[in-house]
Amino acid sequence: MPGLSNTIRELRAARSMTQQQLADSIGVTRQTVIAIEGDKYSPSLEVAFRIAQVFDEPLESVFQYRDARPASKRGK
Amino acid sequence: MSSLSYQEKSLYGALIADLAVFVPYLHFIHQRQPPLNAIITAVTILIVANIVLQSVIAALTRNRLTDERDRLIRLRGYRAGYFTVVGLMLLGMAMLWVHTSLGQMQPSHMALHFLSVFYAILILAEVVKTVTQLVAYRRAI
Repeated sequence: MPGLSNTIRELRAARSMTQQQLADSIGVTRQTVIAIEGDKYSPSLEVAFRIAQVFDEPLESVFQYRDARPASKRGK
Repeated sequence: MSSLSYQEKSLYGALIADLAVFVPYLHFIHQRQPPLNAIITAVTILIVANIVLQSVIAALTRNRLTDERDRLIRLRGYRAGYFTVVGLMLLGMAMLWVHTSLGQMQPSHMALHFLSVFYAILILAEVVKTVTQLVAYRRAI
């Protein structure tokens, strides 16, 4: 899927963490965690950093961005 | 119902209150001229019903956390409601103007009709806003 994707589900599973536990630790609702995991909602930079901090991982290993625009339209 | 967030429960409560008051009101004004006290009664019942329902939902819900996604969804709903108000207001004003200029409505009744139409527009905009927010929650935007 183009745009923002993430590995939150895998990171959470590796730590046996529930969606509710993650939601509580980053200060959002469980529904928001579900939406982020399903790539339906792109979190703010602040929430993204909080998620990375919870997993003690760099931001780019939690979130990946794929530019869906054609190469001719991308910035130099 | 337990899988719904507090915001979703609150929206369903507001939608139920809106429809429970507005549908009988529409049925009433369809049969006769809307007297002023019918509009006042409908508005009062709607306010009371909303207060009661929202209080019950708040009392029964433990986690009432609101986050950035809730705020985004709320903004989407308000935008949809705003466009509904503007669109229906223009349509309503045009209809009032046509009816008055064709002599189908006495100017003395115009203020009451305007009030009735204005109330209907506000309720419809509220319903559009609520449904837009519920759809956004269900689609997990």
